[in-house]
Amino acid sequence: MSTDDAFAEAYRAHYWAVSRFVARRLDGSAHEVEEVVAEVFSIAWRRRTELPESPLPWLYAVARNCLSNTVRGLSRYRRLLNRLGNHEAAHRRQTVESPDAERPGSWVHEALARLSSADQEVLRLTAWEELTVEELAVTLGCGRSAAAMRLHRARRRLRAEIDRTRTTVSARAGDDGNGGRNG
Amino acid sequence: MGAAMGDELELLRAADPVPAGAGRWRDRPLDARAEAGLARLLHHTRTRRAGRRLMLRAEAAVLALVAVVCFLLSDAGSSPAAAAPGPIVPHADTRPVPLAELARRAEARARAAAPGDGPHRGSHVQSWYLSMQAGPDAAPPVTVPEERITRWNADGSGSELVVATDPRHPGRPVIHDDDGHWRTVSDGKVLHRRTYPAGSEAQHGGLASRTRPPTDPAKLRAELGWLYGGAGGARTVTPLLQALSSFRGEWTPGPRETAAVVRMLADAGGLRPAGSVTDRLGRRGEAYVHDGTGLRQMVILDPRTGELLGLEETFTTDQPDFKVKAGQVMSYEAWMP
Repeated sequence: MSTDDAFAEAYRAHYWAVSRFVARRLDGSAHEVEEVVAEVFSIAWRRRTELPESPLPWLYAVARNCLSNTVRGLSRYRRLLNRLGNHEAAHRRQTVESPDAERPGSWVHEALARLSSADQEVLRLTAWEELTVEELAVTLGCGRSAAAMRLHRARRRLRAEIDRTRTTVSARAGDDGNGGRNG
Repeated sequence: MGAAMGDELELLRAADPVPAGAGRWRDRPLDARAEAGLARLLHHTRTRRAGRRLMLRAEAAVLALVAVVCFLLSDAGSSPAAAAPGPIVPHADTRPVPLAELARRAEARARAAAPGDGPHRGSHVQSWYLSMQAGPDAAPPVTVPEERITRWNADGSGSELVVATDPRHPGRPVIHDDDGHWRTVSDGKVLHRRTYPAGSEAQHGGLASRTRPPTDPAKLRAELGWLYGGAGGARTVTPLLQALSSFRGEWTPGPRETAAVVRMLADAGGLRPAGSVTDRLGRRGEAYVHDGTGLRQMVILDPRTGELLGLEETFTTDQPDFKVKAGQVMSYEAWMP
């Protein structure tokens, strides 16, 4: 199979997985997600001679780089808006007090958000992209044992944050005598 | 994993915000856009990049204004035309027109519209963006004026044209933000020109451009939120107006879509009529102002038709990190038919 054929096969097989990867990480609209995904595959195309046999973790690595560039640009603008107090996300953060007010998973997201960005990424790659430790190593560009260690530590810290969140929730629910709502 | 509640990875898995089995990004065969993307990479990579870059810039133009820029303004002696245009001030002696009244005018016009009256893809906009640097060594921001015309025809052929120009000062040099480098160029300098043969439209459109705008105000608002809004959609007026600006960069609405826009703005609340104005292109418009924290947005509508003429965003507090002072206009966009 030629390099171009291998690329086309990887594109067809993983287009939606890469789209989900970007959508999970980009605080942006569907349109912005599409644009970033196009950029990811355009970079992957230029580097297609490096395409490994199982391309998905490698594509995720390309996407991570691509996202960090995009997010740098976007975040500068959003930081400015946030500081102005206008941005929707800023408002939302102030108004959502109950961890499960919007959807069942939101308090898990809150727990996740309290971890370092490196921990968050290891956990997202494992839970949402369902990478094995070997694949994790490819995407993160580190050795297998380093990946395993990072995952182990990140899991432990997530566990601690979840326990803390749940304790806070039950305490808060107890305060308003409204415990059934969270149960 | 039996003890689901006990396993933090299981909990996280269950909270996947973008699952593989449902929603917009679910697993399925490639759609037409994704197929076109692949075909482009395999066959037309070279011609594609400039076009896409432009599209990115056109649709996310407001992001470009905070690009980190290098201060390369060489001829410090001659001041470029568009140094720092001030905000538009409503005429004092006019009776403001309530948005609801303007919405009724726009709806009457929509009812009289012919089936073929818009919307059409493409837009014509004259913009002035404040290009800023961030950080301790930031240079004061400068205003970058551009005219941008995107056209798509029924046969799928199209063209893009970007010109550095400030219509308020014809013939004077203007500042151009060349991927982060500020330069002065002569008025009317063509920054980008491209034509596309028949059948190209499907390949060059993003999701936003393929989604025909609804004529129902509530549906329009929902669509602006998910398509052009940030993660929070467009639930408050500030992101709604910014989403409207992005939308107008893709589409030129017809009378029916215009009526939906004005009604949507009237229903949104938070916009107060400020009286009539003369915009930077010398057109008469009705101004409606939203005062956010630190930022004032003024949307300008045609008093007869309700058509969106312009959107101005002005800082109302200093932003020292960006060397921005209260009263400076962050952006002004003037749309033309």
